[in-house]
Amino acid sequence: MSTELADIHDFIKAIEPFDQLPKDSIANIVRNISICYVRQGEQLPPAGISEPMLYFLRKGALAYYGANDELLGKYGEGDICTVFCSPEEDFAVKVIPEEDTLLCAINCAELKSVISDFPFVHNFFLQSGAQRLKQQVSKINEEALLTSTLMNTSIDDFYHGPAVTIDKRESIKTAATKMTELNFSCLVVVDEHDGLAGIVTDKDLRRRCIAQGLNFSRPVSDIMTENVELIDHNFSAYDALIKMTSQHIHHLPVSKNGALVGMLTVTDLMNQEGLNAVNLSSTIGKAKSVEELAKISKLLPKLQIRMAKLGSTANHVGKTISALTTAFTNKLIHMAKEQYGHEPVPFAWLAAGSQARQEQFAHSDQDNALIISNEMRPEDDEWFKQLATFVTDGLNACGFIYCPGDVMATNAKWRQPQRVWQQYFDSWVNTPEPMALMHSSVFFDLHCVYGEVDLLAQVQANMLQQTQRNTLFIAHLSTNALKLRPPLGFFRDFVLISNGKHKKTLDLKHNGIAPIVDLARIYALSEGITEVNTIERLKQAAGTASLSTKSAANLIDAFEFMGMLRAEHQAGQLQAGIEPDNYLSPKEISRLEREHLKDAFKVIKTMQANRQTTFG
Amino acid sequence: MFSLLEKLLYASKGLNSKRAMLLEKAHEGALKQFLSVPFPDKNTAISDIDILAVDFETTGLNAKTDKLLSVGYVGVKSGLIKLGESEHQIIQSHGELNKDNVVIHQITDGEKANGDELKVVVDKLLLAMAGKVMLVHYANIERSFLQQACIELYGMAPVWPIIDTLVLAKTRLDRSDTPYDPHHLRLANLRASYDLPAHHQHNALNDALATGELFLAQMQHYDQGLKTPLKEFLL
Repeated sequence: MSTELADIHDFIKAIEPFDQLPKDSIANIVRNISICYVRQGEQLPPAGISEPMLYFLRKGALAYYGANDELLGKYGEGDICTVFCSPEEDFAVKVIPEEDTLLCAINCAELKSVISDFPFVHNFFLQSGAQRLKQQVSKINEEALLTSTLMNTSIDDFYHGPAVTIDKRESIKTAATKMTELNFSCLVVVDEHDGLAGIVTDKDLRRRCIAQGLNFSRPVSDIMTENVELIDHNFSAYDALIKMTSQHIHHLPVSKNGALVGMLTVTDLMNQEGLNAVNLSSTIGKAKSVEELAKISKLLPKLQIRMAKLGSTANHVGKTISALTTAFTNKLIHMAKEQYGHEPVPFAWLAAGSQARQEQFAHSDQDNALIISNEMRPEDDEWFKQLATFVTDGLNACGFIYCPGDVMATNAKWRQPQRVWQQYFDSWVNTPEPMALMHSSVFFDLHCVYGEVDLLAQVQANMLQQTQRNTLFIAHLSTNALKLRPPLGFFRDFVLISNGKHKKTLDLKHNGIAPIVDLARIYALSEGITEVNTIERLKQAAGTASLSTKSAANLIDAFEFMGMLRAEHQAGQLQAGIEPDNYLSPKEISRLEREHLKDAFKVIKTMQANRQTTFG
Repeated sequence: MFSLLEKLLYASKGLNSKRAMLLEKAHEGALKQFLSVPFPDKNTAISDIDILAVDFETTGLNAKTDKLLSVGYVGVKSGLIKLGESEHQIIQSHGELNKDNVVIHQITDGEKANGDELKVVVDKLLLAMAGKVMLVHYANIERSFLQQACIELYGMAPVWPIIDTLVLAKTRLDRSDTPYDPHHLRLANLRASYDLPAHHQHNALNDALATGELFLAQMQHYDQGLKTPLKEFLL
């Protein structure tokens, strides 16, 4: 054969991972290639091909469809179609040219023998892009498993059971005696029907009884903590920790199939792992002044570094930092109330954006808002304005800088009674304008940090009912979401920022993480999902009309992988004393990570293309 | 070579009979071997036909006065172009090349001096073509230069079943009854009209491959596709 098939040679050489093969091997591949031409709408493999082949797309476009004819992805020039090479791949996948397509085909077995001496290239083909990503993510999770047992251990391994109970009519003295005998710091208080009434802890004895000079013969129900939440035994220890940290509690009753089975204490968790997060959160609770809080906040970047170094997933880091931000906010609200007195009417302090989604990192800016009860009188606003000013100033002092877009409770627009919020959402959803939507998208990710949860829940429930029905709104939201594109070029190469301070870098946040956050929000709003955390949204949307189970898994993998890259990138910057950012230079990461990052971008690209076809 | 009677008879025959008549006269060698393999039946579906896409680079258009510089070819069957069945050969000749031409075909005097002898190249091409249909873009060049070479080398010019992608395109355009610019029939332009990628022109093998790809596209646009009988394509 001639070595002069320059066109084909150059074409193959430009496609990853073949760029790493020596000239001879490329020539060897070219020698084994058959060129075929498939007309639009005809199914692959083309007529004349009976053996499993790998296809290089030279000209045209291919679309992949799943078992239910749902579009799985689209491939363009310079892409590789491996579907027919991996027998474990879904045979239900249909590959159909979207236009007349010119393909270079190579017998899979022949390709394998050519590349067998090059493990990297060889491994590249063992899996599809999505599978490759999946493997990388599970590897990361394994590291997390080794370093952070908490995440991966269920409450089953920690809790003490059966729970020691006491009838609520028993005296405080009886409770204290029982606790001393058993050396327990906590008892579950039950009612006459053995139902959960509350819990009583050492702290309750001290604060609500002894310190108050309460008669020990009073029933224990007088000092118990009511409205205690149960946690199901299937949850991870980490979930329990988050619950404890955000609510400032040290005891959680554990349930199995709804029935009380035992008790979990923070000590149980802390014994398992030196928990800086818990320590930090209790230190926050004890702080006496904003200055003290600001001092504690300096530990946040350190915690983030430590977590990233330990191999925590970005999800884990985000949840921890978000929980601590919640603790700071709670503490600041308490401090404000000490200064300005109690609220005139009920309210809910809301976190918006990344804090609400529990995806916050240290040095994020603050996004917050206030929903106030409709009973609010005009003069009440003064109190809320003071509260907002105090808390946002405090958060700023703690490193959560003022929101550049003024999405803060200090902005009168975002400090309104419930009915006004209801109007806001009505107009965003029912008469959507792309620009207005872009600015308000932060309000579709809301979480109540403090106060009356119902104030938000009612607004959200109304909103979700409307978004599910309103395709125009979803279409506008999609248009906005598609403005952020993954930086992938023609031949699967990165498109780097070409000038300015961040020259030759990739913007991980805007081109990678934000598009997935946007997609997850769209799926959630289309399907009426209340959850705001991106991974949770994707999990819940999986298998609905908006998102296939497989695509959801791919997006979650891509999200976790990019989150991990960002966490590591920022940990490096924090350690070097540089202000952390989201601009990653491809040189910073290994070749393998670069490939995985491309795969992750590719998943986004595919899902965006899907969106586009839904609302073209 | 042929008597007058034989000449008359020869002219009235189909390709395969002409081949058989020539075979009787041929001397031992590559040409005889080529002629000894029957041409495919013209009613056979195109998918079952062995095709060889061929391109020549020459110093000019006149087969009698100009020289053959290089030969490129690649096999096509069942709608697939087999790159493993490709060949590119440069023909050894002495005497300087016209500077203007070198710019076009990019074959240098040095390469030419190191090339193979014309007989080696044509022998190989004839053997590769045995039993196959020749696929070219604008058949006049390849046919006349190959006939001339055969007369010089073996004393007789054989016949070939030929598919000409230019003629296929022209027929199609003529039938559609719309006026067109003759430039449109150039290989690169026809490829562009089928959305095929730009190719590295004026290299015999790349042009042969480009012709092969164009033919794949043309075949697929016949109503019967690969089932279309060979006769629909033959010159």
